[in-house]
Amino acid sequence: MTVFSIWPDDVVWRRVCSRLYWRAVVVRAVWLVILAGVAGGGWYRYANWVAPLVAGGLALLILVRLIFVIRSLRSWGYAERHDDLLVRHGLLFRRLSIVPYGRMQFVDVTAGPLDRLFGLATVQLHTAAAASDARIPGLAPDEAARLRDRLAALGEARAAGL
Amino acid sequence: MQPSDQARRRLHPLSPVLRGSRFVALVVLAISWQGLANLGIRRWAIAVGAIAVVILVWSVLSYLVTGYQVLGRELRIAEGLLVRRNRSIPLERLQSVELVQPLLPRLFGLAELRLEVVGGGRAEAPLAYLTLDQATALRQRLLHLSTGRPAPIADAPPGQTVRADLPAVTTAAAPSEQVVHVVDNGRLLGCQLLRPQWWLLPLGVTATILDTLTDSHLGFIGLASMVTGVIGAVSAPVRVLLADWGFTLATAGDGLRIRRGLLERRSSTVPEGRIQSVVVEWPLLWRPFGWVRANMHVAGVRVEREQARAGLLPVASVPEAETVIGHALPGVVLREIAIRPVPDRAKWLDPLQRHVIGYQLGPAAFASRHGLLTRRLVIVPYARIQSVRVHQGPLQRMLRLASVFVDVAGVGASGLAQHLDVAEARAIALELAERSRAARRAPLPA
Repeated sequence: MTVFSIWPDDVVWRRVCSRLYWRAVVVRAVWLVILAGVAGGGWYRYANWVAPLVAGGLALLILVRLIFVIRSLRSWGYAERHDDLLVRHGLLFRRLSIVPYGRMQFVDVTAGPLDRLFGLATVQLHTAAAASDARIPGLAPDEAARLRDRLAALGEARAAGL
Repeated sequence: MQPSDQARRRLHPLSPVLRGSRFVALVVLAISWQGLANLGIRRWAIAVGAIAVVILVWSVLSYLVTGYQVLGRELRIAEGLLVRRNRSIPLERLQSVELVQPLLPRLFGLAELRLEVVGGGRAEAPLAYLTLDQATALRQRLLHLSTGRPAPIADAPPGQTVRADLPAVTTAAAPSEQVVHVVDNGRLLGCQLLRPQWWLLPLGVTATILDTLTDSHLGFIGLASMVTGVIGAVSAPVRVLLADWGFTLATAGDGLRIRRGLLERRSSTVPEGRIQSVVVEWPLLWRPFGWVRANMHVAGVRVEREQARAGLLPVASVPEAETVIGHALPGVVLREIAIRPVPDRAKWLDPLQRHVIGYQLGPAAFASRHGLLTRRLVIVPYARIQSVRVHQGPLQRMLRLASVFVDVAGVGASGLAQHLDVAEARAIALELAERSRAARRAPLPA
C-alpha cells in the first residue's frame, strides 16, 4: 500500500469546533461590508467605476481565500494516545507534532476577544524544547478545559526529568 | 537542621578587591582617553583615586552582604547591597557546574564557581571568588547532592567533627578522575591554521599594500582597515587556542569533566544524563586529515558561537571521538552509525546534499546528518527527546517526501532527517515516540 499522507490514519482524530469556521466567515463578511461601503462611497462621490471594480476584485480574492482558509482550518486535528498527544494541521505545508505527556512543562489556554465572542479557546502544550509545536486552536471552552485538565493530570503521572 | 547542612559562608576576602579592580581599570581607561590632557596630571590622579576608593568601598560592602549556604538539597545565595536577593537553587535541577579561574584570581589561587540550571540565559549562580580547594570541595558536594547520592561528609567516621571546607576530606573523598582523552596542543594549533580566514589574509594584505603604493592619499585609511581586518581574522583562532589549550576530558564519579584554558583555566562538570545531544562536525578543510570536532548540548547552557568553540572536543580523529562520545552518551558508537540514504527523488529538492543527508535509528540514539561544506552529525539519545515533528511542504508532497524533526530541550541542536519517503517518515516519527517512551521508563538518571 502506498502511503500518501504524513498523518497516521490508525488513530481517532478529533476535529476543532465548527464555530472556528463561522469565525473566519464572519471576520471576512465584516471586511466585505467595509469594502462595499468604500466602493459605494467612491461611486457616489466620483461617479466612476474604478472604486467598485477594485473593491469587487478584492472581494473576489477574499471569497476565494475563504475557501482555502476553511479547508486549512478543517485540517486541524488532535489525537490523545496513551502516552502522547498528536497534533496535525496544514493544507499546503503539512505538520504533525508528537508530544509525550511526560515531557510537558506547562499548558496554556488562551482566548482572544474574538475567540470569546464565538466561544472558542486555544490550548497550547509547552515542553522544554523551544521548537516543540503543539497548539490546538478553536476548541469549545469546556473541551479546552477538559483537555487542559487531562493533559495536566497525564503530565504529572508520566512526568520525566529533562 | 540536617547534618549535611552548612552554616552560611562568605566568599574569599580578596574577591572584592579582584572584582573591583576590573571596574577600576575600565573606568580609568575611559577617563584617561580625554581626561589626562584636559585635567592635568594632578587632578587626573585625584579623580582616579576617588573613583577607585568609591568602587572599592562598594565592592567591600557588597562582599559583606554576600553569602552562600547549602541547606538540605538546596544552595542558597544571598547578595545585593541595595536590592537584596536571596536565591535558592534546588540541586536536583543542576545541569552543569563550571569552575573558572581567570588569570588574575588564578595567581592568588582563587576560582569562580558557576552553576547552570534550566531556565536562564546566563550562569544563574556565579560564586566569585573562592579558594581553589573550597571551590573544588563545594563543586563535589553540589554534584553529589544533585545526583541524590550521599554527601561525602557522611562517610566521615562518627564522633569526629568535619568541616565542609576541610581540604583534607575533599582530597580523600574525591572520586578518582580518569582521563579519557587529552587533545594534542599541536593538533589544536594545526586545526586552527586550517580555518579559511588564514587563506584570505595574504590576499587582503597584498591588495591593501598595492593599493597604498598606487594611490598614496588613501594609504592611512587602507592601512588602518587592514590592521583591523587582520586583528579580526586572527583573534578568533587565537581565542580558541587560548580557551582550548590543554583540553582534557575525564570521567569523574560525578559526571563528565572537561578542563581547558591557557590563561583562564576552566573546568566544567556535566553530571551523567544531562547531555541532550552531541553534534559531530567535519569541516571541509579538516577532512584530508581525518579530523572532527564535537559539540555537546546541555540544557540551560548558552550555546557558544558556533564556529568558535567546540564544547566536547575541539579536534580529534574519528576513533578518539568515538571513545569520547561513548563516554558522553553511553551506548552510542560513532563508527557504527550507518546513515540510511534518502530516496533518489530527493535530488529534485536538494541535489547537492542528496548523498549527505540521512538518518539512523541506532540502538540508543537517533542520528541524522546534513551540511555540505561542514558536515554535521546530530546524535540525540532516545531518552532526551522532547517532541517529534513531521513537516511536509508542497514540493515534498508532490514527490511523496517529508522531513522529521527531533526536538531536545533548549534552543537548537535538534535532529533533522530531511526528505524521507512519506511512509518512512511517518513510521519513524511514531517509532521515535515509542522508543523515547521506553527510554524514559528505563532506570536512567533523568
